[in-house]
Amino acid sequence: MGTNSGATAGINNKPVGGGAGAGVLGGVNSSIGGVLSNSLGGGGGGGSGGLSISGLNAGGQNANVGGLVTGMGNVGDDSNNGMAGGGGPNNQQATTPQYTIPGILHFIQHEWSRFELERSQWDVDRAELQARIAMLLGERKCLESLKSDLTRRIKMLEYALRQERAKFYRLKYGTDPPQLNEFKPSNEDASLAGEVATDSEVPYSSVSNTTWRQGRQMLRQYLAEIGYTDNIIDVRSNRVRSILGLNNNAEHDGSGGGLGGLGGGTGGTGTGTGGENLNPNINGNESNKRASETEGRHTPAKKVQQSIDEIIVDTEAAVMANFEFLGPNEMSDDDEISDDLEMVATDNDDTDVKMAKRAKSGKDMLTEDLEAEVGEQLLNEMNLMNEEVDGSLGLGELAQLTVNNESDGAYDTNSKDGTGGSAGGAGYRKTWNAKYTLRSHFDGVRSLIFHPEEPVLITASEDHTLKLWNLQKTVQAKKSASLDVEPLYTFRAHTGPVLCLGMSPSGETCYSGGLDGNIECWQLPSPNIDPYDCYEPNVHSGTLEGHTDAVWGLTTMQSNIVSCSADGTVKLWSPFNKEPLLRTYSASEAEGAPSSVDFVRNEVDHIVVAYNSAHCIVYDTETGKQVVRLEAAQEMSGNTGKFINKVVSHPTLPITITAHEDRHIRFWDNTSGTLIHSMVAHLEPVTSLAVDAHGLYLLSGSHDCSIRLWNLDNKTCVQEITAHRKKFDESIFDVAFHATKPYIASAGADGLAKVFV
Amino acid sequence: MKMADGSTILRRNRPGTKAKDFCRWPDEPLEEMDSTLAVQQYIQQLIKRDPSNVELILTMPEAQDEGVWKYEHLRQFCMELNGLAVRLQKECSPATCTQMTATDQWIFLCAAHKTPKECPAIDYTRHTLDGAACLLNSNKYFPSRVSIKESSVTKLGSVCRRVYRIFSHAYFHHRRIFDEFEAETYLCHRFTHFVTKYNLMSKENLIVPINVGENAAPGESEA
Repeated sequence: MGTNSGATAGINNKPVGGGAGAGVLGGVNSSIGGVLSNSLGGGGGGGSGGLSISGLNAGGQNANVGGLVTGMGNVGDDSNNGMAGGGGPNNQQATTPQYTIPGILHFIQHEWSRFELERSQWDVDRAELQARIAMLLGERKCLESLKSDLTRRIKMLEYALRQERAKFYRLKYGTDPPQLNEFKPSNEDASLAGEVATDSEVPYSSVSNTTWRQGRQMLRQYLAEIGYTDNIIDVRSNRVRSILGLNNNAEHDGSGGGLGGLGGGTGGTGTGTGGENLNPNINGNESNKRASETEGRHTPAKKVQQSIDEIIVDTEAAVMANFEFLGPNEMSDDDEISDDLEMVATDNDDTDVKMAKRAKSGKDMLTEDLEAEVGEQLLNEMNLMNEEVDGSLGLGELAQLTVNNESDGAYDTNSKDGTGGSAGGAGYRKTWNAKYTLRSHFDGVRSLIFHPEEPVLITASEDHTLKLWNLQKTVQAKKSASLDVEPLYTFRAHTGPVLCLGMSPSGETCYSGGLDGNIECWQLPSPNIDPYDCYEPNVHSGTLEGHTDAVWGLTTMQSNIVSCSADGTVKLWSPFNKEPLLRTYSASEAEGAPSSVDFVRNEVDHIVVAYNSAHCIVYDTETGKQVVRLEAAQEMSGNTGKFINKVVSHPTLPITITAHEDRHIRFWDNTSGTLIHSMVAHLEPVTSLAVDAHGLYLLSGSHDCSIRLWNLDNKTCVQEITAHRKKFDESIFDVAFHATKPYIASAGADGLAKVFV
Repeated sequence: MKMADGSTILRRNRPGTKAKDFCRWPDEPLEEMDSTLAVQQYIQQLIKRDPSNVELILTMPEAQDEGVWKYEHLRQFCMELNGLAVRLQKECSPATCTQMTATDQWIFLCAAHKTPKECPAIDYTRHTLDGAACLLNSNKYFPSRVSIKESSVTKLGSVCRRVYRIFSHAYFHHRRIFDEFEAETYLCHRFTHFVTKYNLMSKENLIVPINVGENAAPGESEA
């Protein structure tokens, strides 16, 4: 019924029938146009404009055809159906076997219209395919420029590497390296042609740079001629950025749109059937401008151009060689197409004189702008790369620096703490280095202690003596950076190895405990005493007798001292009393002998004692009662290896630190008696501990021959120093911090004591 | 207390060790000692086992460098002489012994000073021991304890001569102290044996008559 109504409409109303015919054709056309606009005109306004116009043109042609058809309809009035479709002639043949003139005419007209229709369809297809070719070309250009960008990036990195090498060379040898190729991308880029013309002696790398840049320039000219200009560059840079991971999605999408627009634009020019002249779109405009611009560039630089020509050929070859991966077929296609496009471009030049002129008026500026833009872009990219390179290099250094800074800071703080500010300025980049070697003992040095203020220390040895050392009275040792110090005074009273030392806070009195069970009290001689002065019996100011076995631990608090002995007792003394022994503290038999003792520094009248059972007990010195027991049930399964060699109290915090035979250092909370932290600190038993006066650093010594400095804040090892040799299975017996000066010291079984600054 | 579990013996004097257990560990053969202080360890081990067995203590192991052997023994003598000095300090004062003498034949001048000085006996003792300690620990003459320069070995003789005077002074002026000390350590006995064996002192200087003990040292030294 639809056909009937159409027929009646065609018969009754010619214009309407013609309109319907045109409508059919136009409908096809418009649908094709729709396809075109969909596929090509995605983003670029110009592209879509061009397409719509071509679509209109086609529509116009078809409308004409439609007019003919309707004219036919008019003539063949009798032919009942009046069909505009293919069925028309068949019907006519069926009904009227003879050929009538109108029938033939109708058939011819019908056939012609059909061919026309097909032709227009082919045109549309061709336009579509050409648009696709253009798109692919655009992509190829993108990839090429991407590749050249990457090549440039490689060059940049090479350049950066060269610079770094030069820098390294300069740092190492103090002079500039003999062959340093200065690579100034911006300058060369800006004054490209001139430099190429004059520079005949540029080194190879530079030549290659300029050649590829020329090739690049040529490519850009081609691009300009075919209308790939800023957009394509944008696309390229976007690609580069996206590859470099600098792009966000929105930008990427935009670039895709741009690409589509470009494809449409080229499609418009490629079809070339009639629409291109009317193309008022931006791409065409720009291509014109670009073309005239290139012309304008060529004219003043003709001389150069000629001289360059050879180079350009070479360059082309080189560039093409570079782009070999694209394959020979495409290459030839490309040549053809680019030739075509060039022709089109020249056509444009010829026909659009007005436009060219208009463009020429702003040409110089535009050229400059473009040049500047391109230059800027290049520069930016260079800078970006430079920044990246520098950034990464800088970061590397920075990272190191930060590490160093950390450690510097640590040492700095430490030295500041140690010196109370006096050596703070010199404390930068400070690591502890062995400076003084105290060699005079015949046997292992069991203990050492610093004078609270002076650079003076006392060592106690298994050779039954104590020695007084003044670090300011030194003898420069031969062939050695370390200084030898000779002892100022030898304290002789013990009849066996001296095991422990204590010093009064004033630094006037020193106490020593020995294997003989005695605690000897000494008045320190002047630190400037002549080592071979007369014997002064008053130096030995008394003996505290009370322990019945070796005295292993000794520590002082104001005028009191507390000692622990292998006889199982801990005794509190006030050496200058008539009855020096104040109190004795004994633990149960199960605890075994005390091995080490210290005053709890932040709690008056408390002492902490380490027992062979690997427990620590905090006593109240007034009541003699146990206050806290430091033990951790889960830690203490199998006590055998956890023997405590040394216990020290943190100077400011309620923390007790213990050095264990099982290589651990453990930290305890004095108030709750719980284990705070436990760490394997050495390769062999930890024998000694010392905390600096500010409670920031911990020094530990071990039978593994090394002393380690720990940051108490994060419990990390700041420095390790191998300090002593082994005698039997023992190595380091004691470590110490100077309370106010930047000295640390270690005492070893090899009979030496070492002082580090 | 020194014995660790099983086969490994850790020779350590841990804090809290009783005096009687100090250094009381199984002997270690010299060849198993891998320490640079092996000779000292070995000598101390022998003395600890039996201080009266002078002959064994002074028997140099095979393949032992003689310089090091003598040096380490002399260190040990000087170290143990501290014990004698401690005892002398209680009795020998500048008032009682104004000069360092043994017999009336000689007055010994103290070499610790720039110009040798007539120090009182106790000062002489202390100065001599301190000086010996400095010399024997000198980085210049004895930088190493595993090999001794030939030129430094000659220094040992003068050290021996000087420290021997402490024995002789104690013997002739503080006989009680000397005897007590000798009974405990056999030090003079060992020393005489040592200097004779290695020819570090001339016989006429060995003025302390060594008791004819079970070791028959005097006879041998006179022989």
